[in-house]
Parts: sequence; C-alpha cells; structure tokens
Amino acid sequence: MNESNADDAALAALMKAAQAGDSAAYAQLLRAAMPLIRNVVRRARGFLGAADVEDLVQDVLLSLHAVRATYDPARPFIPWLLAITRNRLADGARRYARRAAHEVQVDQLPVTFADDAANTDIETYGDTDALRHAIEALPPGQRTAVEMLKLKELSLKEAAAASGMSIGALKVSVHRAMASLNRTLAKG
Amino acid sequence: MTTMDTQLLIDRLSTDCAPVRCLRCPATRSSTWLAIAVPYVMLASFMFPRAHIEAVIIDGRLIVEQAAALLTAITAVFTAFAATVPGYDRRILLLPVLPVLVWLGSLAAGSADEWLRDGFAGLWLRGEWICVRWIVSVGAVPAILLAFMLRKGAPMSPYTTAALGGLAAASLGHFGMRVFQPEEVSVLMVVWHVGTVIAISAFAGWAGRKWMCWRAAISPVRKRLAAG
Repeated sequence: MNESNADDAALAALMKAAQAGDSAAYAQLLRAAMPLIRNVVRRARGFLGAADVEDLVQDVLLSLHAVRATYDPARPFIPWLLAITRNRLADGARRYARRAAHEVQVDQLPVTFADDAANTDIETYGDTDALRHAIEALPPGQRTAVEMLKLKELSLKEAAAASGMSIGALKVSVHRAMASLNRTLAKG
Repeated sequence: MTTMDTQLLIDRLSTDCAPVRCLRCPATRSSTWLAIAVPYVMLASFMFPRAHIEAVIIDGRLIVEQAAALLTAITAVFTAFAATVPGYDRRILLLPVLPVLVWLGSLAAGSADEWLRDGFAGLWLRGEWICVRWIVSVGAVPAILLAFMLRKGAPMSPYTTAALGGLAAASLGHFGMRVFQPEEVSVLMVVWHVGTVIAISAFAGWAGRKWMCWRAAISPVRKRLAAG
C-alpha cells in the first residue's frame, strides 16, 4: 500500500511538472503510465489482438494529453488515469462493435499486380496468332479503327486526323470490330 | 493510430507539452458561472416584455419554489462541472435530484390547488409561447457561456454533463422569470415552464454528444502531431 502511495506521489509530481511544461518529466510519466494502461486494457479486453490493444493504449495516451489540465495535483494521479482509461475503453468498445458490424473479413486484399486475384482472365490472350488473323480478316475501316485506337492507342482525334475518318465513324467501326473479334475468337 | 509506435507517440506527445493552467475545482467554476449568469438573468428578465399579471401572489409556496429553482441551477451546474473531472464520484450526479423534486412538488401543489378550486376548467391548456421565449432567450447567454466552460473539462459523460448544463441555465431562466412574474401557479404555467426546461435539457444533452466527445477533444492534438 505504501509502495503504491509512493508510486502515485511520484506520478503526481511528474504530472505537476508536465503541467508546467516539463517535457522530460512528461515523457517519464507517460512511459511509467503506459504499462499500467496496457494492463488495464488487456484485463478488460482480453479478446483483442495486440494491435487493437495498442490502439486503445494510444487512444488513452492521446486523451490523457488532451485533458491534462483537468488533473488537480492535490489529488491522487492513478484514479484520475484509471478513470480516463475505463472511459476510453467503454468508448473503444462502442467503436469496435460498430466497426465489426460493418467490416468484411478477408485474408489478404488483392491489391498488387503479383497477386493472382488481381489478374483477371480478360488480360490473358489465348492465341495471339488467332487474334492477328481475326484482325486481318476485318473490313478495312474496322481494321484501321482497331489498329489506331486499340493497338497504337491513339486518341479519337489523332486517329481521325491520321485516317481521314470522322470521330463518329471511328467509334462505330471500333465497336463493330470488337464485337466481330469476340465472336471470331469465341468460335476458334 | 496503429501506424505509429506507442513509444514514438510518447516522444511526440512529450514534445507537444506546452504549459497548461489547471482547471479550478468544480465549486470555484460554478461560482464563477453563477457570478456572471445570475446578474445577467435578473437584468434580462427585468428588461423582457412582461404579460399582464392578474393576481400577484407572494407567499411561502412561491419562496419555496424559487429557492428550489435556484438550488436546482446551483446543484446542476456544480454537478455538470464535477462530471468533467476524471475520477469524480458518480454519486454526485444525484445532487440536483432533491431540489428538482422540491421545485416540481411546489409547482404540483400549486396546480392541485388550482384544480381543486376551478375544477377541469383550470386544466385547459393554451399556447403560452411567451414562457418558452422568455426561458430560452434569457437562459441562452448563460447556457452558451456554460458550454464553453464545460468544454474545457474532460468529456467523461457528455450527455449527462450537457443535460445538467441545460437544466442549470433553464432553471435559472425560470427563476428570473418568476421574480418578475410572481403570478399564481397554474397547470398551464407548470406545463409550459417545466416542459421548456425539460426540452432545453434534452436538447443540450443531445448537442453535448456532438461537441463534448473525445474525438473533438483529441482532434487538436492529432492535428498538431500530424503537422509537426
């Protein structure tokens, strides 16, 4: 009991110094308070993972920092700290419940090009020769449109200037060409 | 916050450790608010356009009612300030209950007398928006001042704190009105006055959840950490 009183008195003295702007005392206080906070969080929220526990510890530290003016140096420090911790735990529980209700669990998000799930079938060509023959078999207008817009990746304006076709005609031609290629490749 | 290591956060917080002035105790903060709010309410109530009073009754019941309304304001504001201090004793939230009960009891007794005397005719309700306007407009300035003062504390129980703040401001507004309108208590008056006080307290409580939450308290810290 005497030891805990001494601890509390030491923390209270550090907090008083921190309120006066002593950064070193404040850092020392927060380092001393961190294990206390972490223990309370772990005991109260044993089901949480390490990252969630650290989230809550950091929330408590931020809260303590935001309301440090409410600490009265004449009163014990630990009950003040525990009150903030428990209050933030209750707040965190509400947030956790809300997040869990709206979250879809996935093992790994397919966000990289190396990930198989990020590469769809549409990006793979089964037979490049068949594609080349199918393009060559298209009517001249459609073939020109595909070559300029899809293979050379020109803009509609550039393709119109280069081919002498209107933008409308190019759009119609490329649409018909793609439909024709889809049919031809699906058959073959 | 998982992107930041807790040790790193401690380092950043300690560099953000500007000197802060400790908040004064709830009794001192309540006294400060009352020292400003009571004279303001009396002056504003005196200047507010008053309805014609048919029968001025200043008796023991009015004195009890006014004392209870004033005590409600005092205990509510003290409790509101106490609720913004981490580690406060939650039993303190019961402090305004007794004055509120005495206040409502005195109003109910007056209404019962009116009902016994006039029968159901006394229960006829008509719109008395002047009471609402009076309490809201006279209590608005003390309520805004109180909101700023309460926001300096910790948002331990935002709804309760703000509702108590609303109760303090509204009951003080009622007190001011009754000083200059000491008419006989009626069911009509009870409904409009008490209804207004309850509505203001409920609205304050709802609003308190928006402007007195941890997110709002921490937001400036997060911004400073992100900036620096």
